[in-house]
Amino acid sequence: MSEQILEALAKLFALITRQDGGATEVERKFVIDYFKKELDENSVDRYTLLYDTEAEYGKVQENKEISMKDSVRILGFCKKINKNLEQRQKVIILVKLLELVASDKSDKKFTPQRRMIIDTICQAFNIKDDYTSIENFVFCEDSAILNSNDILICAPHNRLLPPDARYLKVDDVRGEIIFKRIPSVDLYFVKYLGKDDIKLNGFALGHGQTNLFPPGSTLRPAQAVGKGFSVYYSDVAGVFLESSQTVKISFTAKDIEYRFPNGALGVQRMNLSETHGKLIGIMGGSGAGKTTLMNVLSGIEHPSHGEVLLNGYNMHTQKADIEGTIGFIAQDDLLLEDLTVYQNLYYNAKLCFKQLSEKEIDERVMTTLVNLGLDHIKEIKVGNVLNKKISGGQRKRLNIALELIREPAIMFVDEPTSGLSSKDSQNVVDLLKELSLKGKLIFVVIHQPSPDIYKTFDKMIILDKGGYLIYCGHPIEAITYFKKKTMQADAERWSENPEEMFKLIEKEVVNEFGQETGKRQVLPTQWHEKYIYEFPFEEVEKINEKPPSSLSRPNIAKQAYLFTVRDFLSKISNMQYLLINLLEAPLLAFLLAYIIRFQNHPETPDKYVFRYNDNVPAYILICIIISLFMGLTVSAEEIIKDRKIQKREQFLNLSRFSYLFSKIFILFTLSGIQTLSFVLVGNAILEIQMGLLLSYWGMLFTVSCFANMLGLNISSMFNSVITIYITIPLLLIPQMILSGIIFRYEKMNKTISERGTVPLLADFMVSRWAFEGMTVNHFMNNSYQRDFYDVDRDKSKYYYRLEFWLKEMEKRLNSAHDQHKAEKKTDSIRKAMKNNLELVKHEIKTENAHLDLLKGFDWEKALTPSNFNDEAKDKIKVYLDTLALRFNAKYIEASQKADERESKIKKRRDKKYSVNKYKDLYSNDGLTAFMMNAEVQDKIIEQHGKLLQLSDPVFNEPRGVDNVLDYRSHFLAPKKHFLGMYFSTYFFNMVVIWLFTFIFYLTLYYDVFKNLLDRLGKIKIGKKE
Amino acid sequence: MKKLPYLFTVFSLFVFLFGACTQEKTGGDIDNEEKKNNEKTPSGPAISIEVINDMVKSIPSPLEISFLIKDIEIKYDKTVLNAAENAKKYNNDYQRALNLGVYSTDLGYANIYEQTQDALFYLGAVKEMADALKIGQFFDFNTIKKLASTRGNLDTLLLVTTKNLENINDHLQEKKRPDLTILILTGGWLESLYLTCEVTKKQPNELLKTRIGEQKIILEQLLLLLSFYEQKNENIRNLISDFNKLNKIYENVKITYKSDPVVTKEVNGQLVTEGGTTSEIQLTEEDLKAVLETVREIRKKVIG
Repeated sequence: MSEQILEALAKLFALITRQDGGATEVERKFVIDYFKKELDENSVDRYTLLYDTEAEYGKVQENKEISMKDSVRILGFCKKINKNLEQRQKVIILVKLLELVASDKSDKKFTPQRRMIIDTICQAFNIKDDYTSIENFVFCEDSAILNSNDILICAPHNRLLPPDARYLKVDDVRGEIIFKRIPSVDLYFVKYLGKDDIKLNGFALGHGQTNLFPPGSTLRPAQAVGKGFSVYYSDVAGVFLESSQTVKISFTAKDIEYRFPNGALGVQRMNLSETHGKLIGIMGGSGAGKTTLMNVLSGIEHPSHGEVLLNGYNMHTQKADIEGTIGFIAQDDLLLEDLTVYQNLYYNAKLCFKQLSEKEIDERVMTTLVNLGLDHIKEIKVGNVLNKKISGGQRKRLNIALELIREPAIMFVDEPTSGLSSKDSQNVVDLLKELSLKGKLIFVVIHQPSPDIYKTFDKMIILDKGGYLIYCGHPIEAITYFKKKTMQADAERWSENPEEMFKLIEKEVVNEFGQETGKRQVLPTQWHEKYIYEFPFEEVEKINEKPPSSLSRPNIAKQAYLFTVRDFLSKISNMQYLLINLLEAPLLAFLLAYIIRFQNHPETPDKYVFRYNDNVPAYILICIIISLFMGLTVSAEEIIKDRKIQKREQFLNLSRFSYLFSKIFILFTLSGIQTLSFVLVGNAILEIQMGLLLSYWGMLFTVSCFANMLGLNISSMFNSVITIYITIPLLLIPQMILSGIIFRYEKMNKTISERGTVPLLADFMVSRWAFEGMTVNHFMNNSYQRDFYDVDRDKSKYYYRLEFWLKEMEKRLNSAHDQHKAEKKTDSIRKAMKNNLELVKHEIKTENAHLDLLKGFDWEKALTPSNFNDEAKDKIKVYLDTLALRFNAKYIEASQKADERESKIKKRRDKKYSVNKYKDLYSNDGLTAFMMNAEVQDKIIEQHGKLLQLSDPVFNEPRGVDNVLDYRSHFLAPKKHFLGMYFSTYFFNMVVIWLFTFIFYLTLYYDVFKNLLDRLGKIKIGKKE
Repeated sequence: MKKLPYLFTVFSLFVFLFGACTQEKTGGDIDNEEKKNNEKTPSGPAISIEVINDMVKSIPSPLEISFLIKDIEIKYDKTVLNAAENAKKYNNDYQRALNLGVYSTDLGYANIYEQTQDALFYLGAVKEMADALKIGQFFDFNTIKKLASTRGNLDTLLLVTTKNLENINDHLQEKKRPDLTILILTGGWLESLYLTCEVTKKQPNELLKTRIGEQKIILEQLLLLLSFYEQKNENIRNLISDFNKLNKIYENVKITYKSDPVVTKEVNGQLVTEGGTTSEIQLTEEDLKAVLETVREIRKKVIG
């Protein structure tokens, strides 16, 4: 207390006592006692002197009206006090003043003057409503006059008690212990009317004296007679708050035991049974299994044996029935860091209560904020540990608020005070206490609590190493219990310090040199046995009504909407995140495109012409890789970041679809923006035809969305951010290797790749689908090639047929004929002949448009080793020659069309059309060379009895599919076959990537990879907690 | 609720995307229009391939003129040649064939002057044209390259080139594309005529003037050959009309033969055109000037 206040108090005391005949000895003694309690020896003298002077002690005062001067001075002191003290403290002062007046019982000096002064003070302090009842309480000497429900009377029986007063049965007490509650400030005062010596928190309670009964207090007789009695604060408060309790809970854990995946026991078999309105602490050294126990109790972890019942419902198997009754506050802050305090609470409330209107939600949020003293920081962003915006205590309180707003019947709180200042810790625990008094059952894992916090608990569960339950009961009793069990001399001495207790529990055997041996004097199992022996398990009365759910979830769509808005707000409030994500793409595009804007014009070296920039195929690949990269990085942390919040929200049982939808929606939107800005900048710098912009964007967006989904998968799969980021290259590098451009498919290890086909492995790479789709689309659909694709394709097709295919066919036919003619047919010759004939047969079949030439000739039969003869050879030869003529005619037709195309376009479409201009602007030599596979030496090869064309893949339309499901074709094919239809490569590949994305959505939804990983993890020897 | 508009947007975006890809008219459409309007199918030449073949063989090698130019000690002038970089500009077989001829002449010209670097450039251009015409396999580029980069192998080079041309001719005949051979020859001839004209302009020379006058005969032969394909190919039609202009000027040129008509024969492994010197050419200065201008104009069109 500050000097100023003490001074004011001393003077107030003096002013009151000097009225009506002056201060009496008794009154003076009371004042001095008070000072002694509050102050040290030296100051007591000083303030006593002050009091004496002011009260004019010793002088006999006349009975007269209060002087004007005194009145003004009283108001002055009150003002001073008003400025400095909280309302509860003022109430305490008022009670003190009343006590002072009441102290002198001899002559009942509660005269009108004194009453007036106290009235004035009450008014100044703004204590109006409670005054009369306080006065009654302080002055009463018989409980009979205290007929109010703010009164609690403790007695062995409830006869002759005022009807409205509350009653708490306490045996072995002589007389009555009376408690008075002052609801406006939530204070309790105690008064004992009886003849025993009773101690309040170890200090003697004076007869008839009014004393403050602070949280955690205990009343007990000075000398225990028989069993003695204890009255705990929680009992008292519990009785008062009973009327507000509507929820009845029985929570029983029967024979529970928990085994870690590696087989070690985390929780040894134990029984617990609790009822509503209790604040229960769980304590124990590190590794004692506190958190594990709580996880089991709260239903997160399944016990390996036994069951946990809440009002008869199994917490683990009947989750649906108890939905919404459980609140879990993890040790970590489960806050959305980029949202304000208000928003955090608001969206949480929105997700819990569909029936409440916007106004009601707001009211509820604000009430909760005010209750937790967070209202003044409601617009402040939560921030994270490194970038603190609100204090640790406020974070904790907000965490509690998130659960509190829902008012679950049972709450589990994991180390709410870790890392908090002692004041914040006290606040948080007080808050929990208050909740428990309102009827909640609260389990709190607590580590190294201060004595004040320790005694706030109603019950303490103490665990020892290995998950043994060694105590469950009143916290203060716990200390005594362990003292007794370890034969401590001062076992009966009041102690509030839990540290002492742990020292006793873990006391080690000392050797002859006085050194600790590391061996426990009492092993955890021994403590456990002692406990079991001493405290037999008592189950609380089972309550069978369904626990009330405070939850009414909005529907899936509404949830999705709320998640999306919440996530969106969270993202836009993080400037750094937003800027990086929005600028990353155009910046990279600029960097990339500017660097590779290669001026390679053959005549004017400084002029940039798109056609001569050799870097275009590589540019397309890098676009894809960057899209993958951006998509992955932006999403990889999404779910892991939310995992904590999800841990909390799992008790709300919110829709996973909605949650994922919000993630996906936001990520896809972001990807859309990123890829669009990327292609806008990149393509503009490289002067890629604007008409292709959409197709570029479409594919990159597709790729980015795929990457988003992949990122979400890994995000939900692993449990640390670093693992996720290590995984990214693991996913991306194969995409580069198998993209089809860095390494050509025909130059890969033969075990994974065959010439002329795309390796099956590459079919799992989106980079390959995207790259193929984009390059083929760019090549075929640029404004130049669009006009020439058909003729170029036909020229390429018939040229290949004429120059390579027909020649090869003829060669095969001839060698088959030679083999047929061979004098001595060895097995190898026969085999070679069979091969040749089969190849010829297959190829004729494939070239099915020209089968008319073989009408009336059973060529299929003739082309078998047994039936092949000169005639067959001749007929086939004629067929091939005719085919040559046909192909040649087609070829000529195509080239002539090509020759005339420019002039035709000029005539019919655009007078200013010029092929060279179009070529320069829209086509690209580098890309063309790539699409034509220009490097390849052998244009035709044999594979599996088929002839494969390696040249001009982009003009080579797939033919001769094996079955309707055959989607495979050579790389860079212009069309794709599936289900008997042909699709444009761009479209087909895009659909393939979306298909991948969808599959990954399913794996994400069902958490396939995480389950897989967990299963793998179970095989290994896992670490203990 | 929120999902539907989103899906719809994505869907319509895709529709738009693919719509955009197929809206514009492609080359095939243009041909289809053509077919609707004009059901004419291309017809082959009315004259037999053998005849054409013989006529083709009577066209002199363009290399000859280069020898002549060098003999009268005129300096190498690169600027009159068709730049090798132009090779990229030729987009259709008509242009490629003509310019294959042009570049062959330029290659010979550079080679005769022992301009190895330029010769290699032209060799590249020739290769590019030949590859595009799918007749690259008839050029023995490695040999030509070797010859072109060492001096004093002109005779061999001429022989190889001629041989190559013959092979090409045979191949194209086989593939029913004699028109391409004719275009190659035309290009080569046009380029050598142009070079001669350029030189004459700078340094008037009787011999060259006679040579220019003599080309009247060749032009007539070429016109005849080209006329076989006039119907089929619009480009050739245009070329013929250009050549007709030149022919008009040549009408003023009078040639009085003293002995045999022009024949090309092989003497000691070297191709020589005989008979030219035995004719008398009457070519006025104005006509020469007109020929010069017209040739330049036609050649400009050809090389683009």
